[in-house]
Amino acid sequence: MSGGLRRARATAGRVLARPAALVSVVFLAVTIFVSLTAEWLLPLDPLYQDLAASLEPPGATYWFGTDELGRDILARVIYGARTSLLTAAGAVLIAGLIGVPIGLVAGYFGGWRDAVLMRVVDVMLALPGILFAMAMIAVLGRSQMAALVAVGVTGIPGFARITRAQVLSLRQRDFVLAVEALGGSASYNMFRTVLPNAWSPILVQVVILSSVAILLEAALAFLGVGIPPPTPSWGEMLRTGKSYLHEAPTYAVLPGIALTLTILSLDTLGRVLASVLEDRREIVEEDAAEAAELRQGQR
Amino acid sequence: MTTYILRRLAQLVPVLFLASIGIWAMVYAVPGSPVGAIVGENATPEQIQDTITRLGLDRPLYEQYWSWLRGAVVGDFGLSIQSREPVWGLIMARVPATIQLGLAAIVVGLVIGVPVAVVSALVPGSWIDRVLSAWSALALGVPTFWLGILLILLFAVELRWLPSVSTYVSFLEDPLGAVRNLLLPALTLGVYVSGIFARFLRASLLGELKADYVRTARSKGLPERDVVGRHVMRNALLPFVTIVGLMLAAFVGGTVVTEAVFTYPGIGRLLIQAIGVRDYPLIQGCILFVLVIYVLMNVMVDVLYAYIDPRIEYR
Repeated sequence: MSGGLRRARATAGRVLARPAALVSVVFLAVTIFVSLTAEWLLPLDPLYQDLAASLEPPGATYWFGTDELGRDILARVIYGARTSLLTAAGAVLIAGLIGVPIGLVAGYFGGWRDAVLMRVVDVMLALPGILFAMAMIAVLGRSQMAALVAVGVTGIPGFARITRAQVLSLRQRDFVLAVEALGGSASYNMFRTVLPNAWSPILVQVVILSSVAILLEAALAFLGVGIPPPTPSWGEMLRTGKSYLHEAPTYAVLPGIALTLTILSLDTLGRVLASVLEDRREIVEEDAAEAAELRQGQR
Repeated sequence: MTTYILRRLAQLVPVLFLASIGIWAMVYAVPGSPVGAIVGENATPEQIQDTITRLGLDRPLYEQYWSWLRGAVVGDFGLSIQSREPVWGLIMARVPATIQLGLAAIVVGLVIGVPVAVVSALVPGSWIDRVLSAWSALALGVPTFWLGILLILLFAVELRWLPSVSTYVSFLEDPLGAVRNLLLPALTLGVYVSGIFARFLRASLLGELKADYVRTARSKGLPERDVVGRHVMRNALLPFVTIVGLMLAAFVGGTVVTEAVFTYPGIGRLLIQAIGVRDYPLIQGCILFVLVIYVLMNVMVDVLYAYIDPRIEYR
């Protein structure tokens, strides 16, 4: 395990040697830290309504103004980060826990298992991601859980495809065939021999999908089918802020900045990680762009 | 070539079949009964019984699916719960608006993306390349709904040059009015898609610039302008056509978020409204329609690619 740890540390060192990646990691670390410790660190309440001071412009009391119910926009942006990050984490977990095994089985066994699993993945890709998520929410009803599941399920094909491609390239390697020849069970071989060697692209996918999940969650909230109020959400704030562009032009600005910076940080980190881990920048970039942007189509 | 097209279409059959089951089953998966989902919560017992008989919900499941599918294949998705009008007509009424927005966005994307890609591919690694690459990353990272809001703030609220709400005006009937209404939504989508275009075209140009024929062309003394303009561009544009086609497919399939920002009356907005009032026949119709268009467009892109590039084998 210490070898793995050493490699992880070396990779982290090479990633952080790039200024853009360092800035991204610092921004993400601060965002995560502040959003998770907001109760203890900051005297801000995202739900407190100061109705006498609704739609205030930025000022001394409320640095970024207040919303239509007199709630502190800064507080809601900070707590909105928590909503975004937790949804992304949960969604990536769902997508990975289902998508990676699908890719493993399809790539390892091939044959009818591969055909069936990949057809199912094709069906999921037959709709732009946001429509797939909306269809799921139409069935499940609008709730925090529905948003989480919809975003998570939308990410399954990405994990399945990337894992499958990686497994296919490893399947006929000597060390995999050796375990097979020595009588290692298929599940042992898949999870203990193949998977540990397929981590790099999966890790890159985790970062890329986090960015996609944050954007998708915000888009769903913006469309009014995401996490229901009063939970603070950047997408929901943009949705409401859009109704008050004349009265409070700054309302919709801060949540958008927070959302954009988070997405840009994750995108940058994903690209750098891909180039460091894989040393095949162009290919990964295309994979990433195709998988994440074209197929998700959250526009 | 014909075999290739037929084969690609045949591959769609299992995907469309599975997807159609999924879309059909949506109504059954809704908490409560499909009848409740279709007639709404305040239905009288007569309405419920009428719906059960009319939809044949007392028949076996495979029969129900079969009759739904038979209708769907000829465009009969039933009546919208909300408006009592045929779903097919409601969708068709929105198609021109969505196509017009998609095309306008592609044009904006090309106008911005192609020059960005060409310039940065000609001076790779330079500060210009870095700035332009940063532009692409920004264009891809900024959420369209926020960019749309910023554009509305600037051009509609502050400067008052353009409307903040975009209606559909046919470009063929009133070009000026169409541009006025389309400019902001097309810019919003176009900036995003320019990032994709720039990134792909740059990668593809850099790949071509390393090719042997470029060295040959240069060594025989061809001016750099011709090397790039006549040789490199032609080859680099081949894979690029695929990307443009895929984006068009995605946009024709619906530009849900951008339509919501500008309350633009396209298919995406129809779907959002349908979800809002739980109008299930309309939801099913919209999703199936988008799905079919999207997968067919994807096949068309592949076929087009095989057609323009003779090096592709029709396997």
